[in-house]
Amino acid sequence: MSSFAPILVYILVLLGFVATNLILTHVIGPRRKTAVKDMPYESGMDPVGDARQPFDVKFYLVAILFLVFDVELLFLYPWATAAYVDSGGVPAELKNLMFAVMLVFMGTLAIAYIYAWKHGVFKWR
Amino acid sequence: MLDLLKSQLPTLITIAIALGAILTTCAYLIYIERKISAFMQDRVGPNRVGPLGLLQPLADGAKFLLKEDVIPGHVDKVLYLLAPCVAVFTAMLAFAVVPFGPVGDEPSWMRFIIAPDLDMGMVFIFAIGSLSVYGVVLGGWASNNKYSALGSLRASAQVVSYEIPLGMSILGVALVSGTLNLEQILAQQAKGGFLAWNVWTQPLACLIFFTASLAEANRLPFDLSECEQELVGGFHTEYSAMKFALFFLGEYTHMITIAFLMSVLFFGGWHSPLATAESAYPGAWAVKLGVLFAKVLLVILFIMVIRWTIPRFRFDQLMGLAWKVLIPLALGNVIALMVIRQFGLSLWWSTVASAVMFCIAGAISTNASRAALERARSPLATAG
Repeated sequence: MSSFAPILVYILVLLGFVATNLILTHVIGPRRKTAVKDMPYESGMDPVGDARQPFDVKFYLVAILFLVFDVELLFLYPWATAAYVDSGGVPAELKNLMFAVMLVFMGTLAIAYIYAWKHGVFKWR
Repeated sequence: MLDLLKSQLPTLITIAIALGAILTTCAYLIYIERKISAFMQDRVGPNRVGPLGLLQPLADGAKFLLKEDVIPGHVDKVLYLLAPCVAVFTAMLAFAVVPFGPVGDEPSWMRFIIAPDLDMGMVFIFAIGSLSVYGVVLGGWASNNKYSALGSLRASAQVVSYEIPLGMSILGVALVSGTLNLEQILAQQAKGGFLAWNVWTQPLACLIFFTASLAEANRLPFDLSECEQELVGGFHTEYSAMKFALFFLGEYTHMITIAFLMSVLFFGGWHSPLATAESAYPGAWAVKLGVLFAKVLLVILFIMVIRWTIPRFRFDQLMGLAWKVLIPLALGNVIALMVIRQFGLSLWWSTVASAVMFCIAGAISTNASRAALERARSPLATAG
């Protein structure tokens, strides 16, 4: 756990750095409010309606697919670091079984990927 | 308490050096980028402040602090202030596990890495790196501006998509070296010599990693979240003064981290014929440091030249590149390396596999784009 101590120190220093920057610019900079400055900048036109509108469902689909693939990646990292090391990794008698399991795992993933492609998830129009 | 503080003293010194170096480098990278842009567009570039404009970054820094810090009335104040902080915080935190020099050769009062011996190094970088999308999303949403909303929407989809090929391309390196610790990956390459650099045996992984990390850092040709021409500034349209500078700082820190990762993971880090793992002559550490920085600078310059060479992608092309090209290629690369390691083949088969996969992908894409051109040329052309 002690190897995480420097990161904790670093986090504290960074928080200080960020806070200092925000406070400095807040204190030093001038402040003259006008009605136009308070408007959203839309290239000089008066804004119509709210910016927070419903958006395309495509973005949700991408997010869901990302979850699938990212969780799969998280499973792969421990395997990749332990599968083929000389000592302390996967025992030799399990190597072939592990290989078969990983092939099945990636095959399943490939099937899901092809299914998504065939159903047009990757098409943007 | 005092013991704890004493034990972390080298850490504090390292952090001070690293943070100072990052800030200065970022400032001067902006200067270099402007000079390179000027060179590529046949202009002069900044030349007013100081000799050759060398003091321009300092003037810019002072300007960022002294300008008015506008917080428009229509924003969500807390999130609006939080967004630039998250952007710069995550970008700098990811640097914690990057070895920025020959670790082990340094004097005892400092280290060439902020957090040494972290076995989950690469996972840490990905975990923190993917948090950086929050900066963009929060900034766009809190601004309550249509340009910002569009920019952050695009950015979130883009960063999320390119996260996957980025992570997958590293799996090959992890399979070969059996660790995610950056120092150990570097040490293994240095021990094996010039031909053990990962770029020779895994060129495809290197290419995928570089492309995906450009997209992660929102650099051109993948800067659809900003694209000045259509979205003004994208997610940072409503930001000014130091808050805008923090977004910029985050982007450039990202770029530095990418360059370090590229050189450490694929180009042997500090290893070179001038100073190998065995060389013990006095000043070897300085040579190693110089070699590493030269490699990093080359990667950064390459990124900058790309900016003015390749035009921006269309959004559907961007998503297509991630999902239809990079992910299958990265998966194929992992499977190839898995087979090679399982049957104990020579790693050079991986180079062959990379070349074959690259050619197949090229042939398929060329065919597809030719078909699309044919469709567009026919008189009854319809979209898509």
